[in-house]
Amino acid sequence: MTSIDLTDPQTIAFLTDALTTAGVDGVEISGPSGTLRIIMSAEEKVSHAAPAPSPALSIKAPMAGIFCPPRPGSSEVPADLPRTVAAGQALGFLRLGPVLLPLAAPKAGLLTRQFVEAGALVGFGDTLFQIEPQS
Amino acid sequence: MIEIIETGPFNTVQDLGRPGYRDIGVSASGAMDPLAVRIGNSLLGNDEGAAVLEIQTFPFCLRFDRRAVFIVSGSDGAPLLDGIEKLSWCAHHAEAGQVLELRQPPKLARAYVCIAGGLDIAPVMGSRSTSLRGGFGGHAGRPLQKGDRIAIGDDASLLAVPPSGLAVVEPLVALADVFPQSTDGAVLVRALPAGEHGLFAEDGAAFWNQTWRISARSDRTGYRLSGDPIMPTDVVEMRSHGVVPGVIQVPPGGEPIVQMSDANTAGGYPKIAGVIECDLWRLGQARIGSRLRFVRSTHAQARAVEQAVARYIEDVKVTSGMVKRALKAFA
Amino acid sequence: MIATPNKHVPRHQIVPLGQNRARISSIGARSFLLEAPGDFDLASQRRIWALSQTLKGWADLAEIIPGMTNLLAIFRETPEEPEQIIDRLCAAWDAAQSIDLSGKTIEIPVHYGGEFAVDLAALCDLSGLTDQEVIRLHHQGTYRVFALGSAPGFGYLHGLDPRLYMPRKTVPSLKMEKGCVTIGGMQTGVAMLTGPNGWNSIGFAELQMFDPLSPMPAMMAPGDTVRFVPERIEL
Repeated sequence: MTSIDLTDPQTIAFLTDALTTAGVDGVEISGPSGTLRIIMSAEEKVSHAAPAPSPALSIKAPMAGIFCPPRPGSSEVPADLPRTVAAGQALGFLRLGPVLLPLAAPKAGLLTRQFVEAGALVGFGDTLFQIEPQS
Repeated sequence: MIEIIETGPFNTVQDLGRPGYRDIGVSASGAMDPLAVRIGNSLLGNDEGAAVLEIQTFPFCLRFDRRAVFIVSGSDGAPLLDGIEKLSWCAHHAEAGQVLELRQPPKLARAYVCIAGGLDIAPVMGSRSTSLRGGFGGHAGRPLQKGDRIAIGDDASLLAVPPSGLAVVEPLVALADVFPQSTDGAVLVRALPAGEHGLFAEDGAAFWNQTWRISARSDRTGYRLSGDPIMPTDVVEMRSHGVVPGVIQVPPGGEPIVQMSDANTAGGYPKIAGVIECDLWRLGQARIGSRLRFVRSTHAQARAVEQAVARYIEDVKVTSGMVKRALKAFA
Repeated sequence: MIATPNKHVPRHQIVPLGQNRARISSIGARSFLLEAPGDFDLASQRRIWALSQTLKGWADLAEIIPGMTNLLAIFRETPEEPEQIIDRLCAAWDAAQSIDLSGKTIEIPVHYGGEFAVDLAALCDLSGLTDQEVIRLHHQGTYRVFALGSAPGFGYLHGLDPRLYMPRKTVPSLKMEKGCVTIGGMQTGVAMLTGPNGWNSIGFAELQMFDPLSPMPAMMAPGDTVRFVPERIEL
């Protein structure tokens, strides 16, 4: 059983981001160190439901790794930004040794920014991409 | 369960084979690209020899009748899940009712569908691979047919694949130094001289120096090569002896045959060379019509390649477990 | 069939066949083929059986596949020092005494002649014998299973009357039925699978000799004695 520190502000921030991108109302997690309850604010929800303009979504590194926008070995050249992306589309990867963690677009939208250079070592929570969701 | 909705001929259930019964005439069988099976299963948290589908004729479609995690390894090109392109060499979640479609890969020959939990098939003589010649093992001892339903085993892995999937740097990229590529597109296959090598003039120069083509009369049993025939300087009458996949025999016509996964267990043609085991998957991924050259190798080099491959597989196992554990908290 | 080793080939790739020396070559990196010197006879095969027994005690071996007066030894790992493997195999061969396996006796009922005996006429032509003589010589023989291979459960049987020797076909029959009683060179056997086959068929046997689901899938084992019992002769 992996233990996570529910009092760690970074963890809470990450969970909050995750809930935002997932469009969930809130979550309650119980662990040895206590219970953490995160409730998403009504304003946040309303802004999601608003037709336009949509707020930009940040895609953050879920863990530390080497940032690889195209897959290693791929001869594909990523199209210039901004470009449209589909929900679930892999925008890039985090490489850990031989393992690649796909960084999926949480929603369909316009990929407007890439914050990190290819091959850079990124840390947990670093912002990698920004998407303007399209409804 | 998975249900086969569409399949070409000679797609089968395979694993890493049933070596150990060649002394009673039973071929080892097993995947033509065992490395793809080991990596696919390792990434899923399966035993690396769990049973998978080997797809060599396309298009191929299956439907999941329950949630499952799968990976398509081995070939290039992207599989489709409900019509949406997915990454190959990447573990994905599928929902009940979703359809996985495999199209003809752009360059390579064989794709493997590995599923978390493996295919739940009773082993025969220690393996779930299909013995096509013997008519046993795998799914009913025969190639897959439309309408076949195959159970999925329980996923014993406690670590989940993250929702956005988990991919791997594929062998040709991760092991680019270990598996050199030619500049002209011919597949390079390392081999050691075998028993009758000396019967071929000038050290078998004509064998090593020419670029062979994989003829249309090639299958899981063996690849027949076309090129300038090579002839022994002496005709010898051989007694039947045991052979293993990778043996390169020269029948009277002078065009070599490389025995593959469903290799006969015995042979009597002169042997000019034997492919090193770690390079057999490259042949397994070479399509009919593709060109190849043999590169003379040594035991020491074969060992070095084996060790590099073993390190890569171990690295995939350890690192994928570590990544899943790190992400588990946030799943 | 002595292959003269090429002078450029390092020693560990081919060890030449001497007077009483075995010849050792490799197939790939971890399989080594030992070929016994001398004739294709029971004495040589008995020594191969003895070698096979010795090798069963080697922990670094994955598989032992006895062939016809030869043996393929598959090691678990590619050896660091292939020379040492050669030396060990040579030493084991030199030490191997002829043993006789006390196998079982298998009687195989045969329907000689008839629709499956597609090569009987050709054998009569080749040997100058009548079909009745061919059949009599075949079923009067006592055969030993030298080794299994080629198809699941297929036994190579030694002991064929030299008058019945018939070379394998240069162009195999595309679809020979499982159960055909066949002759290939100096050997005889019963086809275990329906498919391409270069041996010559003179009859048919119903006996099932391979069951993949059995703990002992193959009925025959090296050293067994086989007799063919004429159940029916159709000429």
